[in-house]
Amino acid sequence: MQSAEITRISERHWHALDDDQVVGRGEVLRRPDGRSFLSIDAWHGAVFDRLAEEMLPTLPKPLYTVVDEADLDLITQWERMGFGPRRREWELVVPSGITSASSPGVTVLPVGAAEDEPLRELDRAIRDEVEATVGWHNMPAEVFHLHDPSRYAVAVAGGRYVGLVRVVPLPRRPRIGLIAVRAGFRRRGIARALLAEVLGAAHRAGQTSVSAEVNQSNAAALALFEGFGARRESSNLELVLR
Amino acid sequence: MASEISLEGTVLECLRNTTFRVELANGHQVLAHISGKMRKNRIRVLPFDRVLVELSPYDLTRGRISFRYRN
Repeated sequence: MQSAEITRISERHWHALDDDQVVGRGEVLRRPDGRSFLSIDAWHGAVFDRLAEEMLPTLPKPLYTVVDEADLDLITQWERMGFGPRRREWELVVPSGITSASSPGVTVLPVGAAEDEPLRELDRAIRDEVEATVGWHNMPAEVFHLHDPSRYAVAVAGGRYVGLVRVVPLPRRPRIGLIAVRAGFRRRGIARALLAEVLGAAHRAGQTSVSAEVNQSNAAALALFEGFGARRESSNLELVLR
Repeated sequence: MASEISLEGTVLECLRNTTFRVELANGHQVLAHISGKMRKNRIRVLPFDRVLVELSPYDLTRGRISFRYRN
């Protein structure tokens, strides 16, 4: 496999060829937050190494990748290339069900019932608040701006939209993509009410659970989900090469 | 230049070490990993999901899940 020929076929893609057969692929993806994430798929470790050796010198650092923590072989391959762990993210599975969770003075609009413009305004306000405090660097998949209002449930207080949860409607297990509450409305049980709405809707639709990813350092989010019986099903490591 | 052979299949089982047992449209079963691109984009795979599998040119019982259909 040392003989595999590596070709950069576009700005973001590389192929490894052996006897004119594609035996490996590499890709770099620039996320909206400006970070570059790599993936390499190869049928042999030697081809992985050849692709990485061709790709890494051509790309500005830092570079990131994501691996399942159970995939020890892949972690070893990236570590061999100088990557090290940056953070851990738990994949949670939350059982669906009807739970009474409400916040005084707050109404929760179910998924799809929110009005478009106030929802976009809320989305912008929450993003600005996050950017001004912790930033989005630990939530790379969630920096995409609102593009499908029908996927959101919203909390309303005093006629204003103050919290949201985004649900990706996957057939067997919906995924919670983002849950957030305006800074001045936190610690009132609004996130809990939003989550209860989503879990109730999933239950009524015959879905037994939903999934969510939570950064290990986000104790508040872990407590929120585990308060609904979430179990930690797997974990991903984000690796970085500086 | 030849690409890997890709076939549609259905996930039968999630195994240990991020491996899945997939039944292909031709009835054969393969052991498959998720592609790095899917992992990077946090795309999960569950039993009964329909997927596209690239077969290893070195071992046709091994594969890589490169796409999950939305059913």
